Amino acid sequence: MGFLAPWSLVGLATLGIPIFVHLLRKHVVTPRPVSSLMFFERGIQSSTRHRRLRYLLLFALRFLLLLLIVLAFADPFIRRFASDTHSHLLLIVVDRSFSMRAGTRFSDAKQQALSLLASKPRSQRAQILMLGGRVEVLTQPTPDSNLLRSTLEGIQVGDGQGNFGALGRTVRTLNEAAPGPVDLHLFSDMQRTGMPGNFADAVLPPHVDLILHDVAKVSASPNWTVESINAPVELLDPKDTTKSHVQAVIAGSSTPEATKKISFVVDGKTLLSREVKVPANGRATVEFAPLDIKYGFNRCEVRIEGDDALPADNGSVFVVRRSDPQRILFVHRAADERSALYFGTALNAASHGAFILQPVAVEQVTDLDPNKFAFTVLSDVTSLPSIFEHTLEQYLSKGGSVFMALGLDAGRRAHLPLWGGDLQKIRNFASSEESAVVGQVDFTYPGLEQAQPGRDNGGWAGAKFFYAMMVDPSHARVAARLSDGTPLLLEKPIGEGHLLLFASGLENLTNDLPLHPVFVNFVDKTSRYLSGSEQLSGVRMVDSFVQLRNTAETNKSVTATSEVIDPDGRRPLSLADSQKVQTFRLSRAGFYQIHFANGRSAVIGVNPDRRESNLEPMSQEIRALWARGKARTPEAEKTPVAGTKFQYVSLWWYAMLLAFVVAVMETVFSTRYLGTQREEL
Amino acid sequence: MQRFLDPTVLANISSLDLIAKTVVDGFVSGLHRSPDFGFSQEFAEYRAYVQGDDLRHVDWNLFARTERCYLKRYKGETNSQLVVMLDASNSMQYGSRKPVKADYARYLAASLFYLAIRNQHDAAGVIVFDDEVREYVQPSMRQGQLTRLLAALEQAEPRSRTDFFKPLTHLQALLHRRGIVIVISDFYEDPETIVQALEVLRFRGNDVVLFHVLDPQELRPELKGPAILVDLESQQNIEVVPEYVAARYREKLQAHIEQLRTRAQAAGLGYQLLPTDQPLDAVLREYLSVRQAER
Repeated sequence: MGFLAPWSLVGLATLGIPIFVHLLRKHVVTPRPVSSLMFFERGIQSSTRHRRLRYLLLFALRFLLLLLIVLAFADPFIRRFASDTHSHLLLIVVDRSFSMRAGTRFSDAKQQALSLLASKPRSQRAQILMLGGRVEVLTQPTPDSNLLRSTLEGIQVGDGQGNFGALGRTVRTLNEAAPGPVDLHLFSDMQRTGMPGNFADAVLPPHVDLILHDVAKVSASPNWTVESINAPVELLDPKDTTKSHVQAVIAGSSTPEATKKISFVVDGKTLLSREVKVPANGRATVEFAPLDIKYGFNRCEVRIEGDDALPADNGSVFVVRRSDPQRILFVHRAADERSALYFGTALNAASHGAFILQPVAVEQVTDLDPNKFAFTVLSDVTSLPSIFEHTLEQYLSKGGSVFMALGLDAGRRAHLPLWGGDLQKIRNFASSEESAVVGQVDFTYPGLEQAQPGRDNGGWAGAKFFYAMMVDPSHARVAARLSDGTPLLLEKPIGEGHLLLFASGLENLTNDLPLHPVFVNFVDKTSRYLSGSEQLSGVRMVDSFVQLRNTAETNKSVTATSEVIDPDGRRPLSLADSQKVQTFRLSRAGFYQIHFANGRSAVIGVNPDRRESNLEPMSQEIRALWARGKARTPEAEKTPVAGTKFQYVSLWWYAMLLAFVVAVMETVFSTRYLGTQREEL
Repeated sequence: MQRFLDPTVLANISSLDLIAKTVVDGFVSGLHRSPDFGFSQEFAEYRAYVQGDDLRHVDWNLFARTERCYLKRYKGETNSQLVVMLDASNSMQYGSRKPVKADYARYLAASLFYLAIRNQHDAAGVIVFDDEVREYVQPSMRQGQLTRLLAALEQAEPRSRTDFFKPLTHLQALLHRRGIVIVISDFYEDPETIVQALEVLRFRGNDVVLFHVLDPQELRPELKGPAILVDLESQQNIEVVPEYVAARYREKLQAHIEQLRTRAQAAGLGYQLLPTDQPLDAVLREYLSVRQAER
């Protein structure tokens, strides 16, 4: 409770009581009779002075008593330099997110952090964390100022997104591992978008005192950015205007209405320019077509000309790959013509010629090399020529992809090629009165991906299945199940490749899926996924991951290596890492060249999270709530925290103890005065 | 017997008669053991005749034997007259302890009356006054005089103020014989005024003795803090401080006592200061010495 709290003010008002009693209230003295006043003289002034002197002591005691009681309930405290600085950990967190590129924010943050570090007592332990993308712990708790300083100086601004929720989780984890009081100094621009949707994620442990150092010099800066890009990943024909175009959304935050010049740049050369009128704090769409690009990977960028608060986000990069249509090997039984028909029709309808289906009867595949195809489809083929089966196994282990469907023929054989197990059971729903439907669908699976699936289970609910195979789902990811629990779509990584198993057929005999629109979408996405075209180009976000290989361990004598070249042309993976690292984090904005372990190469455009472009800071209320009311004022934040280690010692107990002593003294003195008065009477 | 003269002990005795008897009996029995004086009507001494002496006092038998002329002297051979002037003003009711000044004065007067009437066979009377004569009992040796005197003392409750001139004017008209006049008061008046008023009695041949009755608190007042004091006679009040009472007041009171004593002695008046915590034998001793001197 502070001194301005209502109850404290009421308590202070009671201090007037002893003043009234001692100074304002008329003092009553009982007259004493004497024989004669003949020899007496009046002595009023002296008398008054003496009485006041004597009663002032009692008055002072009573006044002090009330004051101490009021003080005790106001819970006063003193802030003193903590002698036990060893117990407090100084946690310095520097925000290096993309928004810190605006103005001098990052250099200011580093400078303030260095000043704080310089004022740290020699014996105090400190630890440095880096916020931006993911929270990185740069040092262990140490009193070594030189190490801490060099670590701080080595921090560079990044392209990731500052997430205070991630900071809260990290600090909670650190505090659980090493409990103790912590002073967390956060040097950041306090972006509003950095606060997570769930505030509980950012809540800090009770022993952690948060001190915010806001390095944003203005509350909100006008900033335009390319919010989103809609561009083809692969382009077959630049003149095909249905696909050969790029659509960009230009957005402004805290901006007035303005006309901006937008350029489309390919491999550093500006191909097209447009002017677009962006409303205040609004969005505008600009379109570039056709895309006159060369074969191979084209490094494209949509750029906003001119300057603003954050020039780094004025461009958005992406990659468009121009290539010829890819072939898909479709192996089927000689008697099965329907599956190729349905699959090919759906493929043509979805990909607009990006893939060319090459149906081949199983008896004719012996001499075919699957490496010449984007991927291979085995439609109801459980009996493969041994040479081709071996070839497919090699193909799979080196990174190839096979899509296998099990139709009526599969039920006649116990062995299942490539999968590594036998058929367990045949589910023949035709014999029962009701057919099976798709029960569960994993819409995050690339082949079934839907952003907002409808109530009809994303379109899968209408498909009826009459015949399905039960296979061993171990070591496989089940992407869809029938209503009776039978796995319908499974993926098993084999070597560097993928084997996708559809537990029913691709014709209309075992199910009526080919007759439903969702089949086209399924074929399209599955084809893109298995061919790897989605992975090989396009656009990603900073701090997303790419999978370099399927498994981290390899038992082959010849190790498949992967390679990454970052936007600066450096190779972040060491030789050892290139042989075993499974995933790689895209930590920088720009173009990455990646050579996967399966032998394929890709160029990927990486952009910062567009939430970083909104430079609006979080409100003071949110800051206070986050710091549990202990957030320092901006003036205090600007001042380097000298000493930084302060201990708040409550004086409540001392005030009450002193009040008790004063109460005893008051009792003694007042009793003495009363006794004197009785004697006088 | 001395303890019976203690005023504190006497204060517990309700009867003035008994008080007076106790005091005087105790006092006289003490004196009988004294070699100094005898108080009978017997022979006292011989003195050589000097010219002018009354020949009636010559011891002719001795002259016949020795042919020397000596005068034979007796003590108490004649009766005297005692008049007590008792101050009964309001100031006399003050007392920090028992007895208050008025009671002490009454004990004193009663003891004098007892001694005078029962032991000395003197005529005794009383005048109770404040600013006027409130009670007057004519000096007499008649039967029951002591009772009347004690009754007058019983009724002498303090009231009003002190004025010496009015009662003295009245007393001059009443006193036809010479005698002993004892004035019992606290004498809160200018000493010059008091002496001027009383020396008239002296001029008429009376032996005048002033018994100055004061409470110990009046002589040595102790004040622990500032206080408002109220005059019992004028009802005026003033605020005083202990420092003044401890120093200046005592000086002024002592100067007053000393001036009164000096002026009284200069005018031929006897003076005796009587704090109320003192035994009463000093009073009786003074009376007897005065009576002795009168002879």
